Amino acid sequence: MRNYIAVVFDDTSKAYEGLHALWQMDDEGAITVHGTTVVHRNDWGEYQVDSKDTHPALATAVGVGVGALLGALAGPAGAAVGAAKGAAIGAASGGAVGAVADLNRADTRDESRYETGWVLGAGQSAVIADVSEDSTFPIDERMRRLGGKVNRRAWSAVRDDKWFDDRALYPYDGYLYPYDYYLYPYEYIPPYSPWWAY
Amino acid sequence: MPDTQVKDAVDKVRAATQELHKAISDAAAKRGGAAKADLEAIPPKAKAAIDSIKGSMATQNEATKKRLTEAATYLEASGKHAADGVKSTGKEFQTAVRQTIADARAAAQKASEAVAAKRTAGATAGAKK
Repeated sequence: MRNYIAVVFDDTSKAYEGLHALWQMDDEGAITVHGTTVVHRNDWGEYQVDSKDTHPALATAVGVGVGALLGALAGPAGAAVGAAKGAAIGAASGGAVGAVADLNRADTRDESRYETGWVLGAGQSAVIADVSEDSTFPIDERMRRLGGKVNRRAWSAVRDDKWFDDRALYPYDGYLYPYDYYLYPYEYIPPYSPWWAY
Repeated sequence: MPDTQVKDAVDKVRAATQELHKAISDAAAKRGGAAKADLEAIPPKAKAAIDSIKGSMATQNEATKKRLTEAATYLEASGKHAADGVKSTGKEFQTAVRQTIADARAAAQKASEAVAAKRTAGATAGAKK
């Protein structure tokens, strides 16, 4: 079965251990990882998604993508709000380019905090991944040992969220959903960011 | 032994598409001439990945073969958009970069799905024994 997972850790370094463990399990053939990213939420409730500097052509998709991603993992209600307010959540470095305007709007930022709070608390980090797994046990067990809590939602359920049906509103490429832009199809660990300390 | 060889071939295809996506992401992060110079290297890389797919197709099951075929289609499109990007400027260049990276991401996704299909088929066959 194919699932989206959000593994929540209290510690950023543990989140990267979790990220590495996922790719290691993929390498062993226990699961197949299609994409991953790491999201941080600082003590003030603001989000950062680890990403490379992104070309301006991708910036808007990136800004909307992370909100949609976190919202989608929170369930159908979260998907709608997450996507609508997605641009309120900024990405690291260049990814913030498309989101800067909305980042400054406190109202949308607060709503996003509320809607995705169950996934990621202040000061926590999460590994987000798109995985194929024959059983949930390998990931659950490995992440439990690292101190992570696994939240899981079926890939098909996320894809079926009615919110993303409106192609006029979300004119992505048809085969890529907004949050796909955030998931690296290989293990990507960015250089240390001072953001992680907050 | 044959099973290991097949697994290696599909894994190699995925590694090639991942590498391509990484190269395009890196190129996209650069500006102006530097991005174009990097983009020029993409079409041959895409072609090499397509050749790798063609070389591994014959021994696959239907589900894996389907995903690999789709990956090849996206790789072809990615290479084409990269070539278009090299020849363009301004907004057209940005659109080409966006399409190149989107197609490379889709190719990596399909190759990854091929790996999953192959592993699932292997697990099912193992369970039946």
